[in-house]
Amino acid sequence: MANEGTNTETLVPAQPHQFENRHFDPGQNQPPSYAPTTPGSQAVSWAVQSSTANGGYSNPTYQYDQHPQPPGRSIQDGQNVSSVAGNSSNLGTANVPQDYNAYTSYPSSSNPYGYGSAGYTGYYNNYQQQPNQTYSQPVGAYQNTGAPYQPISSFQNTGSYAGSANYSSTFYNPAPADYQTTGVYQNSTGYANQAPPWNNGSYSSYASHPHTNYTPDSNSSGAATTSVQYQQQQQNPWADYYNQTEVSCAPGTENLSVTSSSTFGGPIPAATSGYATPNSQPQQSYPPYWRQDSSASAVPSFQPAAINSGDHDGYWNHGAQTSQIHQTNPIQPNYQSPLDLKSSYDNFQDQQKTVSSQGTNLYLPPPPPLPPPPQQVVSTPIQSAPSLDAKRVSKMQIPTNPRIASNLTYGQPKIEKDSSTTNTALKPAYLAVSLPKSTEKISSNDAANSILKPGMFPKSLRGYVERALTRCKDDKQMKACQAVMKEMITKATADGTLCTRNWDMEPLFPMPDSDVVNKDSVLSSTHKRSPRRSKSRWEPLPEEKPVDNPVSISNDTVKYSAWVPNVKDRKVVMENKESKEDDLRNTKFSPFIQRTSSKAPQRPFKKQRLTDASIAHENGDASSGSDKEQSLTAYYSAAMAFSDTPEEKKRRENRSKRFDLGQGHRTENNHFRRKNAGAGNLYSRRASALVLSKSFEDGVSKAVEDIDWDALTVKGACQEIEKRYLRLTSAPDPATVRPEEVLEKALLMVQNSQKNYLYKCDQLKSIRQDLTVQRIRNQLTVKVYETHARFAMEAGDLSEYNQCQSQLTALYADGIEGSYMEFAAYNLLCVIMHSNNNRDLLSSMTRLSDEAKKDEAVKHALAVRAAVTSGNYVAFFRLYKEAPNLNTCLMDLYVEKMRYKAVSCMCRSYRPTVPVSYISHVLGFSTSAVANGGSDEKDTEAFEECLEWLKAHGASIMTDNNKDILVDTKVSSSSLFMPEPEDAVAHGDANLAVNDFLAKAPL
Amino acid sequence: MAYMNMSMGEAHRRITDYLNRFSDAVSSQDGASFKSLFALSSNSPFLLSLADAVALFHDANRLINQSDSYSQFSDILLPLLRSVQNYKQGDFVEAYLAFEKTANAFIQEFRNWESAWALEALYVIVHDIRVLAEKADKELASTGKSPEKLKGAGSFLMKVFGALAGKGSKRVGALYVTCQLFKIYFKLGTVHLCRSVIRSIETARIFDFEEFPKRDKVTYMYYTGRLEVFNENFPSADYKLSYALKHCNPQREANIRLILKHLIPVKLSIGILPNHRLLEKYSLLEYSNIVLALRRGDLRLLRCALQDYEDRFLRSGVYLVLEKLELQVYQRLVKKIYIIQKQKDPSKAHQVKLEVIVKALKWLEIDMDVDEVECIMAILIYKNLMKGYFAHKSKVVVLSKTDPFPKLIGKPVNS
Repeated sequence: MANEGTNTETLVPAQPHQFENRHFDPGQNQPPSYAPTTPGSQAVSWAVQSSTANGGYSNPTYQYDQHPQPPGRSIQDGQNVSSVAGNSSNLGTANVPQDYNAYTSYPSSSNPYGYGSAGYTGYYNNYQQQPNQTYSQPVGAYQNTGAPYQPISSFQNTGSYAGSANYSSTFYNPAPADYQTTGVYQNSTGYANQAPPWNNGSYSSYASHPHTNYTPDSNSSGAATTSVQYQQQQQNPWADYYNQTEVSCAPGTENLSVTSSSTFGGPIPAATSGYATPNSQPQQSYPPYWRQDSSASAVPSFQPAAINSGDHDGYWNHGAQTSQIHQTNPIQPNYQSPLDLKSSYDNFQDQQKTVSSQGTNLYLPPPPPLPPPPQQVVSTPIQSAPSLDAKRVSKMQIPTNPRIASNLTYGQPKIEKDSSTTNTALKPAYLAVSLPKSTEKISSNDAANSILKPGMFPKSLRGYVERALTRCKDDKQMKACQAVMKEMITKATADGTLCTRNWDMEPLFPMPDSDVVNKDSVLSSTHKRSPRRSKSRWEPLPEEKPVDNPVSISNDTVKYSAWVPNVKDRKVVMENKESKEDDLRNTKFSPFIQRTSSKAPQRPFKKQRLTDASIAHENGDASSGSDKEQSLTAYYSAAMAFSDTPEEKKRRENRSKRFDLGQGHRTENNHFRRKNAGAGNLYSRRASALVLSKSFEDGVSKAVEDIDWDALTVKGACQEIEKRYLRLTSAPDPATVRPEEVLEKALLMVQNSQKNYLYKCDQLKSIRQDLTVQRIRNQLTVKVYETHARFAMEAGDLSEYNQCQSQLTALYADGIEGSYMEFAAYNLLCVIMHSNNNRDLLSSMTRLSDEAKKDEAVKHALAVRAAVTSGNYVAFFRLYKEAPNLNTCLMDLYVEKMRYKAVSCMCRSYRPTVPVSYISHVLGFSTSAVANGGSDEKDTEAFEECLEWLKAHGASIMTDNNKDILVDTKVSSSSLFMPEPEDAVAHGDANLAVNDFLAKAPL
Repeated sequence: MAYMNMSMGEAHRRITDYLNRFSDAVSSQDGASFKSLFALSSNSPFLLSLADAVALFHDANRLINQSDSYSQFSDILLPLLRSVQNYKQGDFVEAYLAFEKTANAFIQEFRNWESAWALEALYVIVHDIRVLAEKADKELASTGKSPEKLKGAGSFLMKVFGALAGKGSKRVGALYVTCQLFKIYFKLGTVHLCRSVIRSIETARIFDFEEFPKRDKVTYMYYTGRLEVFNENFPSADYKLSYALKHCNPQREANIRLILKHLIPVKLSIGILPNHRLLEKYSLLEYSNIVLALRRGDLRLLRCALQDYEDRFLRSGVYLVLEKLELQVYQRLVKKIYIIQKQKDPSKAHQVKLEVIVKALKWLEIDMDVDEVECIMAILIYKNLMKGYFAHKSKVVVLSKTDPFPKLIGKPVNS
């Protein structure tokens, strides 16, 4: 895919760009993750951007918050992972819980810390009450960041957001967590490729259980994939970004830090007791939280999310440093042990390949159906994982960092709980939430944590941790990441490189895959490392989701229910995606991943880039485009898998439309847009076309040309003659497009209509639209445009006229017959009077044939041109009265200017006076009257009108002895002015006045 | 078929000869002989015979790949030989396509050469790609296909411009490329695209305008002057076209004529009339009647001249400029009336009755009523072509007693 290639190139070489990208990516990743994962974090960000609650927060803070949150999550994840590594599902949930705890603690603790408790509560309120709003807000925030990449991510984000928004807040939380984790994965290893399959798998599972939490995860993973790729490249920038954000947002950051501290504190009060003894007891305390949240309502979940954000922030600022450092260390180990990763990756891939869709099932099902297995997994991963990654992790974490250890323990217990209960997943997340707090507490409380003390960690390390955590899509990943990072940090501390190492440059470790861990545990112990890799998302598990879903659903139902909406959205988008692609990608990617992972330890940066590049190449969509495609594919596949209620379909359509809009603006990838744009049949058709092209070219970008768009052209089936115009935001639906015969009737109807211009314009625009989408270019088309152009001229709607004129020029040039002369004249007049461009005028005149020059209308237009260029107002107004066709209408638009020029000319050259009657006569006020000598009545009318006009333009009027009314030229020459048009409207087009439209528009 | 007479060995010898020249020129950095190897449009007998040889000897690839000294330039040579062959056979579309490949490969190499020794060859390529594109477009248009090769050549030249717009000795070549771009844009009618190139030439510090070769400076000034004519920015157009005229090689009458074609209208509109001999010398007689009309105040003559040469003036873009000379003709007419009146009765000479002017116009067979003439008089006063005022009541133009008809002397008419 050319897109891929380009993307990679730009990304890799252009670090400055990357910076922005990173900016975005984090935002994007986070946002998606936010929405789903940490409602709380979202709330924070939202509050900052839109809402009331966070008034104090500035946009920078917003970003900051987001970042911190992810890190917080990741930290948590890491911790959890270390302990729970095996429990992917549990981990994921664990993160969520963490968030929740934080949130809760936030409100309570926030006050003490100086945080506006109100603000938080506000967040809460906002979040809960207006999930949708929050949803939209995040998107906006992303846009604010304004990175070019955002579009993609935002797209996905929106999807996730939408889903999350629709669902309860709790759902949000999980989703974000997933996103982040996936992101991490991709960043580290190029799992992105796998992501699509992952999505599919998850989707499938979701599909079966629309309400399961997992669907969200899959969604998030899709988003994560995109974000991930970017992140890889952007890792460093990320760090920078973070730093910068902190600096720039000093106030915000301070607040954040405070919050974080407070959150930490908060957790303590709330869960402190449990945390104090982090390992076992916290779990106990948390489970209740979880249950409550999960069962109770979205609200609790939201709160936790908010808390999470707070925690993350705090993490970053205060505890974050400590925890981050630790986490970073774990991260490094991952990189260093590329081999392990590879093996794990391979395993993943294998699993994915074999199972494809089932793969997801594998890991998903295990947790739910077999609560014990998850536990086992958790324990095993942690314990067994040590063999590969886990070994280091476990060793490092547990021994070195008391906090980590505590966290680990926490995570494990939580996980266990989760596994035990159907809601377990949620519970673990909650537990995870508690973990961060515990870690903080530990750090502060425990001397052992001295290493981890916030102050001790360099900013860059914090940034690193943030980055790492940002990648995490779900709690599991967070936990895993946290564990990894702890390992890294402890290691670094032991090495004494903690402060010396350039964390900004440090590559992010591959995402631990909690899901993998689960699988591993279920399947074999070899996959111990899998916890870090959440590859499941990346992997192609796709189309058989239904099977998976039941399993996952049963277990995760509560959590997943929230996610389901997301799933639906994606499904819509992804309907057409095929499993083959996923498989291909996976296979292809696997080598890349391995390579990257192996290399990563030594040359983190280069490796990352390589991975990125490879990903980009293979996915085609990789960086920007690829992401989209992947997500799309995921959507399609999901959609295919699902056959939902009509309501759901509608929703999906709406959402997909939304996505299309968002993407459309940001991305220039028409290819993708088109795919996205389609709805219903088109979706499938175009998607299949895309798929075809893809499979043909496989990474090279000729796809667009290869597609036979003619075959995809809509054939209308609508028999309604009347149709309102609505600007298409998606591919046209044949059911609402009228075929040519109907359009002909519609044109007749409009031509004979007695209704006002607004109605006609609306109708004609819809006719034009239908013609365009059906690619009808014949005499009917010309007639429609001519009709519309005439109506537009009559109504003085120049912009609409110009649209028609340019289309007509093209149509005439194609040899389609019409009123060529008439419109040539109009065109001339238009160029003369409104574009004021000599070159255009010359070329228009050059193009006139001799025959055309003999045409009455064209001759008239040429004469008008001469009059205008020479400023001969007398000639102009004579021509104005004699104008054929609708030339008058076009001249109307110039009359005011011409009159003003004329009067200023007269005032300059006439002395001492000019009679108003003369002006009225010369400047065409006495329209028809003068021509035929006219009646007195009309003359006086014209005279009055002229007098009014002169007065309005500042002329000085006087009366002489004969009672003639005259203009005092000498005085007037300096007092003339062009008054503001009375009917001026803010948007510059009186025809668009809302009141007018509402009053006159039919319907 | 000329090449039928050529033996296979002869063909082989000619191709190898060409390849040798090529590699020799590169290794000795001999720009002069190097450029002759690309000059397709020069129709040099050497290249024509090469074309025959290539047509006869089908496996030129093998020859090129035989030796490293050729094969390292195979990206240039292969399509170049094909292009030479196609050009000879009159297949300009194919020739253009092949030549474009050569040109792209050449630019790659050119970037790597530190010195600007191959600049001459680049000039040839830049020139020939434009010429080939024009021919290819003609061919495409004649077969009903959309002619887009010139556009493609334009974007290639932009690429070349980018390769030259650096700090090294190659930068002096930038103006040549710019001028070729102008030619393309003027031909395509996409004159607005010139703006970006002009901006970089006139604002980039790496370019010192005086440093460019004279011929490029003249060409550049010619085209930018024409752009100023479009914008009716007469002082600037006058400066640029005068610069071009002053520095143009006096032997190149065709070029001087081109410059004068645009400079004369500009000069006319700022009130400077050319000598008739000048018009004769450069066969610009289409302007002679216009000049005469200006001298005489003969509106009819002006209108006739404009009508007669409408197409020509429209195409060269000076029609609107010439049309605006009407006001100067009116001025001249009133001035004549004023002079005659002065001879009769100096005391009342400054009062010109409107009916006199209308009568004068009637003699010129121009039918204008009082209102319209009144309007014209008002405009003349408004534009400061006449000093005085118009008394509506008595329908009289009252002229100032001092300098009633100010001369333009290089200044444009107030608008």
